Amino acid sequence: MANLEALDKEAEKKRTRPIGSIQWLFQAASGAFIIFFLGVHLYVAHINGGSPIELFDTVVGNLRDPWWLAFFLIFLWVVTYHGLNGLKGIIYETGISAKARKFVSWAIFAVFVVSVIYGTILSLVVAQMAIP
Amino acid sequence: MPSGGESMLESDNGTLGWLNFFHKGIGYFAYTMHRISGIVILLYLYLHFFVLSNLLRGGVAFNDLITSFTYGPYDIFIVMDILLSLVIFYHGANGVRLMLNEAGYGLKHHKLMFFILESGAMILMLLFLYYAWQVLLSGGGV
Repeated sequence: MANLEALDKEAEKKRTRPIGSIQWLFQAASGAFIIFFLGVHLYVAHINGGSPIELFDTVVGNLRDPWWLAFFLIFLWVVTYHGLNGLKGIIYETGISAKARKFVSWAIFAVFVVSVIYGTILSLVVAQMAIP
Repeated sequence: MPSGGESMLESDNGTLGWLNFFHKGIGYFAYTMHRISGIVILLYLYLHFFVLSNLLRGGVAFNDLITSFTYGPYDIFIVMDILLSLVIFYHGANGVRLMLNEAGYGLKHHKLMFFILESGAMILMLLFLYYAWQVLLSGGGV
């Protein structure tokens, strides 16, 4: 019995979050935001967004509105952060070394920066496109 | 056994031990599926970026692409969309449960919370699919 308790305590010591507490807080907070953003996005894109046959007009029309543009840009940044931070947690969980963690952290950060820059430029360019 | 909050983030079964959820209870199932669904959604996010990049090709090309996904010849993507919505609603509901657990709510009844939240999410998903399907049907004849 004492041995089992010792093993439990040892296991408890080894229990660590794959990502830090602050990052876990950001992950939870971004998740809460995404539930709201995604709900609006699904409604606008699939229920009240017009016919899929004329989707281009709907998308460009929405992005021309500064409020919708801001909405989609924030959504893009938050959802990309949430997804990549979650991926980092999964990779960390595999028990990689501290050096590898650092590399993964920077690689994920680089992917995040490239993704949000690309998505932001794409949104801004599309917002300027003419509706046929 | 993972139940919620911090304990859901443990990995004590080796590098990919979290993938083996069989016969380990609902906590492990939720834990594994949360990760698998998260990876699927992340892959979809980049596929979504790729599809939306086709907006740059202009209205005709983009609408042709989207129409091919919805009304054929590649309408098999609708099945994948339905599976994707299942994954998204599952992930969202389980995420809410994790947040509540982290805040100290429902730790003693995590299984009940799992079933209640997932049931609610599945009802919402069916409602969403129903209305989205109506939009597809109404657009089909245009």
